[in-house]
Amino acid sequence: MAATEDSLLRTPLYDRHIALGAKVVEFGGWAMPVQYPTGIVAEHLATRKTTGLFDISHMGRFAVRGAGAVEFLQHVLTNNCQALDVGLAQYTIIPNETGGAIDDAYLYRFVADEFLLVVNAANRLKDWAHLQEQLAKFDDVEMTDRTNEIVMLSLQGPTSRAILEEVIEAGPMPEPARNSLCEVTINAATVKVGRTGYTGEPLCFELFIPRDAGEGLWDLLIAKGATPVGLGGRDTLRLEAAMPLYGHEFGLDGEGNEIPICAVPLAKFAVSFSPLKGDFIGKAALGWQYEALKKIMRRDTSLIADLPRKIAPVALAGRGVARAGAKVTHDGKHVGYITSGTMVPLWGSQGVGLSSRQTDEHQLRSICLAYIDSDIYENQPLTVDIRDKTVPAVTVKYHMRSEAPPFARPIIHDFQLPAAPLPTGPAKVKHLLDKALANTVWRQRECINLIPSEMTISPMARLLSVMDPAGRYAEHKKSKAFYDADIFYYQGTGFIDEVERTLEAEMLDYLGCAEAETRLISGQMANATVFSAMVDYINRTDRKIEQRRMRQVMNNHIGKGGHLSSQPMGALRDFVSRDPRTERPAVVNFPVLPENQYKIDVPAALKLIDEYRPELIILGKSMVLHTEPVAEIRQFLTAANIDSVVMYDMAHVLGLIGPHFQMPFEEGADLVTGSTHKTFFGTQRGVIGGRFTEDQERYELWEAVRRRTFPGAVSNHHLGTMVGLLMSVYEMNHFKEEYQPKVIANAKAFAKALADTGLNVAGDSEISYTQTHQVIIHVGYAHGPEIAERLEANNIICNYQACPDEESFTASGALRMGVSEMTRFGMGQDDFKTLAGLIHDVIADNADVTDKVKSLRSNFTELQFCFSENEYEGVLQKLHKLL
Amino acid sequence: MVPKDLLYTSEHEWVKVENSVATVGITNHAQNALGDIVFVDLPDVDKEFAKGDEAIALESAKAAASIYAPVTGKITEVNNDLDDDPALVNNDCYAGGWMFKISINDEADLAGLMDAGTYEDFLKSQD
Repeated sequence: MAATEDSLLRTPLYDRHIALGAKVVEFGGWAMPVQYPTGIVAEHLATRKTTGLFDISHMGRFAVRGAGAVEFLQHVLTNNCQALDVGLAQYTIIPNETGGAIDDAYLYRFVADEFLLVVNAANRLKDWAHLQEQLAKFDDVEMTDRTNEIVMLSLQGPTSRAILEEVIEAGPMPEPARNSLCEVTINAATVKVGRTGYTGEPLCFELFIPRDAGEGLWDLLIAKGATPVGLGGRDTLRLEAAMPLYGHEFGLDGEGNEIPICAVPLAKFAVSFSPLKGDFIGKAALGWQYEALKKIMRRDTSLIADLPRKIAPVALAGRGVARAGAKVTHDGKHVGYITSGTMVPLWGSQGVGLSSRQTDEHQLRSICLAYIDSDIYENQPLTVDIRDKTVPAVTVKYHMRSEAPPFARPIIHDFQLPAAPLPTGPAKVKHLLDKALANTVWRQRECINLIPSEMTISPMARLLSVMDPAGRYAEHKKSKAFYDADIFYYQGTGFIDEVERTLEAEMLDYLGCAEAETRLISGQMANATVFSAMVDYINRTDRKIEQRRMRQVMNNHIGKGGHLSSQPMGALRDFVSRDPRTERPAVVNFPVLPENQYKIDVPAALKLIDEYRPELIILGKSMVLHTEPVAEIRQFLTAANIDSVVMYDMAHVLGLIGPHFQMPFEEGADLVTGSTHKTFFGTQRGVIGGRFTEDQERYELWEAVRRRTFPGAVSNHHLGTMVGLLMSVYEMNHFKEEYQPKVIANAKAFAKALADTGLNVAGDSEISYTQTHQVIIHVGYAHGPEIAERLEANNIICNYQACPDEESFTASGALRMGVSEMTRFGMGQDDFKTLAGLIHDVIADNADVTDKVKSLRSNFTELQFCFSENEYEGVLQKLHKLL
Repeated sequence: MVPKDLLYTSEHEWVKVENSVATVGITNHAQNALGDIVFVDLPDVDKEFAKGDEAIALESAKAAASIYAPVTGKITEVNNDLDDDPALVNNDCYAGGWMFKISINDEADLAGLMDAGTYEDFLKSQD
């Protein structure tokens, strides 16, 4: 390689690169390492298996400050910078007037009064000149080139999180989501950290450090196991992630024409037409492109002239390496060119799904990005001209997926999952019966069940669930014409009518409220019904206009234990507006205590309620160790005269309602939703309770709940399990004084015993870790799935769980356990202590305790807290005979 | 140090002559400069080349390079191991990383090749 010239710029880590034996090349005016002695393939693989460390101090960094900064950035960038709360970053593009890219960039907002724009090294001077020219049109904006003041390192890969946690001396890790930011101290220096990167690694960090502290941090990260990676590896990694590179996928195409911004798939996330942006550079051209793109995505090519070609991932099916500029053909027609391409390495994989593991073998595959006609969709055959050969290729959706941390997962285009054989032929009936028998014996007689969302129903509830009227219909509706009498649509419904009225009365008694709706067949459906009722209620005064959604909702984030059904990704999706500022669902999350992320930070939450004025506040969690601050919120709402509806999703803790846990309506909840089979005694259904009485204006919300239940959510409301549920409520109302304190005492004893074995139990030891039926133990980052599987092999059934600081369920580092079902089978505190010891032996020593678990379980096979007196024997026998 | 028993071209190929057949690979200097070899586009057996023709396209992670026929002749064998493990060119360039064998039509073609000492001097002159 040519020696570097003195005229080239050097990053503060130049001497480190030389000392490591890097091959140095010129890049964008800088002398940069293209690779270290182990080579590009090894550096790429190290990033995918452990962690790569990149010196990216050559990238341009411009700080933008001042009262006019937002207006300026909205004008010169394609994304909506007002969506950036402090602590967030976004991908963005510097557009020209014709809708092409001057550069692509990342915008960071570490502090309230400054934006940091990171641009490509090769474009820094061009970008600076362009932005300076624009700057002259704005008042009160100051832009500083801070490239030489800041060292920027990129730490990417499955072990990067552990490395960073180890070196941080003070300050929090950034929230576990891409683009979140924070500030920490490492090596006594202030380091700004962003969860961003250019590798597609789901665990990715970019670090901004004062120049003087750069070498120290570089050395420290290498000492902790990070592998230095040069520009060569950076390029193959970004190609595998299908991320664009200016000069290849942005800028001019092979024929010298400008590539429209919207031709790059990632640009969808970087272009905003928010009204907040005003008349930004290139807006008109981007508007045409975007309209064309939307049509093309719907396979309508009527506007294709505005976006004739697009960047698409392409996999080579034949042998060869397609480089930038290679001609691409489809159906004998020239359709475009390769923009980037090479062989990239990938680790082998063993196993299927969540238990698949990287092997230590690697292979190579030939992949590329191409700029081809927009109407060529996925899985289309192409040919690529490579020298004198024509090599077959195929358009693919992606080369890799990043949503399953801790690893980036390569996707090979023709990979087929192994198909599990299914039972067929005449033997399949017997097979099903045999398996049902074996499974019931295993789960009911031989396993300890610690799934906190499950319950075994009593024999009576079970029997009633399958007797008539199971399988029948009993739609009914209260009619104002008949003084709100229930009108049934079918005959033969006398019995279920009585059951349903009794069930409601028993539920009102249990919940301590004015109204109950019991027709919902799941907790998720109960939540969806409330959300739908909110929209119905909000729009009650005008039915002719488009029914608006809830303007603002507050909930527990799923990562902090919030119910899936209360999230925009769950049942809330179609009922909550988009926030016009952030362009995301208008949901604000309850803040949590830094020292105990399982608990809501009440003062901070009240401030947010005051600021956001949510129409609906959703309390309740599925990872739940504490009571929810219902009373505090109600007092605040009353004092501040804020008219939010307070809903408490008690799915998990419905069976604990009472003096030992929480009385939601006494504390001020408006609505309670729940599933009837977690801590409650089953069957599997949902319920809504409401505190509104007919004389209150809000009773109209309750009437909306009724409408959105039937005919909104159910027609047939599964009458069998409804009869079973009535028996379960009889049981609950009769036995709760004994059952509820026992569940909580067992959970505390279990948690304490687990902690005593040395396991890492989550929560506050001052309260014996839990106020509910749940116990959470930390088993090590991303080890949750494997350990849950190991426990299952030992007949202990629980579920892996992502902790509040983890990125995804695939990276779960915790187990969630509940004591309610085994408490109902009679286990007491000493039995849970024994169980804690067995769990420890499986987790810490990989011991086989299956026989000990079976033996423990054999003492607890008779369900308690249900009616078993002799007087019922005769009628039960008659019912059995009728099956 | 380069192996004494081989001949070398100015394109940093090595040539081993045995029974009128030349075995061809690239030198340590060449593999080091190219970096990780990720694909070797081997010629078909029996294909004929004139001296100086491009016989192989070699792809590294970063760029492509060409290997030329050092003599006029016909391909008699190629190293198929490189299909699965092109890194042999990096890790074992003078033995396991050989690329092809070509019959030597005219021994005179060998006249322009360097011996080890000359090649080492040539490398120094390139620094």
